[in-house]
Amino acid sequence: MKESYGVQLPGLELDDLVGKLIVLEGTDGVGRSTQIRLLKEWLEQQGHAVLDTGLSRSGLVGKSIKRAKVGHTLGRITLSLFYATDFADRLENEIVPALRAGFVVLTDRYIYSLMARSMVRGLDPAWVRNIHRFAPKPDAVFYLRIGVDELIPRAVFARGFDYWESGMDLYSTEDMYDSFRKYQTALLDQFDQLAEEFHFKVIDARPEPREIFEQLKAGIDRILAPPPAKAITVPGEGSGAVEELVVELEESAEERRKRA
Amino acid sequence: MKRYGEHRIPGRLFVVEGIDGSGKSTQLMLLHQWLKAEGYGVVFSEWNSSPLVKDTTKRGKKKQLLTPATFSLIHATDFSDRTERNIIPLLKAGAVVLCDRYIYTAFARDASRGMAPEWIRELYAFAVKPTVAFYFRVPLEIAMKRINDARAGFKFYEAGMDLGLSADPDESFRLFQGRILEEYEKMIPEFGLTVIDATLPIETQQQEMRLMVLAKLTQAKQLRVAP
Repeated sequence: MKESYGVQLPGLELDDLVGKLIVLEGTDGVGRSTQIRLLKEWLEQQGHAVLDTGLSRSGLVGKSIKRAKVGHTLGRITLSLFYATDFADRLENEIVPALRAGFVVLTDRYIYSLMARSMVRGLDPAWVRNIHRFAPKPDAVFYLRIGVDELIPRAVFARGFDYWESGMDLYSTEDMYDSFRKYQTALLDQFDQLAEEFHFKVIDARPEPREIFEQLKAGIDRILAPPPAKAITVPGEGSGAVEELVVELEESAEERRKRA
Repeated sequence: MKRYGEHRIPGRLFVVEGIDGSGKSTQLMLLHQWLKAEGYGVVFSEWNSSPLVKDTTKRGKKKQLLTPATFSLIHATDFSDRTERNIIPLLKAGAVVLCDRYIYTAFARDASRGMAPEWIRELYAFAVKPTVAFYFRVPLEIAMKRINDARAGFKFYEAGMDLGLSADPDESFRLFQGRILEEYEKMIPEFGLTVIDATLPIETQQQEMRLMVLAKLTQAKQLRVAP
């Protein structure tokens, strides 16, 4: 039921995947993780099993990437490949098994963020696209879009400047503000191009989180099939176990009161 | 990003390729000794040795966490780290760089594990094209005998045990390395590999190698440093 962007990995069948793959993309500080949290809760309330995942969290290389980034010693090709390795590991061990089991997989960023970062660092676009061609095509990509002027106050006041999010490896002679501005502008340009090429659903990220959440819910509703009707329990037709439990609890409460 | 064949750098890059037990490492060591004695600025770079990535690769192999895809990508990451931080700067500085295994090892192994050949070639497009790539051609039986004489048994991934070809390590090694040999044979014309008959006496092979290397160095006298 799913297909890749052109490269099939050995032993990784995609055509029997019944779950839905939903991607949230957007630059740093745009509010992706808040939305993932809200969406997960909402989907679970609707009766969907959800796997939420993100970049550099794989068991194989996640920690090594973080360690290497602390020392700022990675070359740009190496950084891209490290992330691709991490992605492949998560894809095979986490994402694909969950999709096979019928989960809704919510992923905080996907190959598009990886591609945008690599291309901003001057890597060959054809090469960058090729290394990610084994990725399954998602059911939907929601792109939380924001301009650099709106982004700056969020980044600065919420968490301060981060070395990598400011692209300091690229413009090391500039101060963090100038570097951040330049880097994020270049990144947003790349995202806009990718949005067109890969048919992202663009969502304006400037409004309140609740408003964005409503838009995301509407978009996701269209992708998910309605949950099976028989899963709903009609009151009064239960097994009676709940009523028994309530009686038990009331009795023990009564006893406690008597003892007191 | 410069692609394979696009780098214009003053140094010289010589690489050796072949299956385990082909004797390529011995030959490269002898070449290294000779180049040092001749007074060249020579540096040795080993497959799978980037300090940054090595631990991950080692852990992945030990715990058998690697699939064909992650095996391929983690080795490309390692190679990229060595290329960016080591091989390219050294070649720009005019050094003679020697590599024990190069991208052709990845092409042969990954294709034998079922990865798409065009995808792997593009994955390594950032690699510097070697001045000469030596391929030490040896029949499987001879290679296996050499390995068995030298140490006990084959390693898990080296024998392709992750592919489930056979439960017997010897048989698995034979099948897996057989596939790798086929891949190497295809690459000889594709990449212009220089074939050395690895069944000849060690001295004869080394003589051939030195002659070919020397021909590439005479056009680059500035590489010579005081011994």
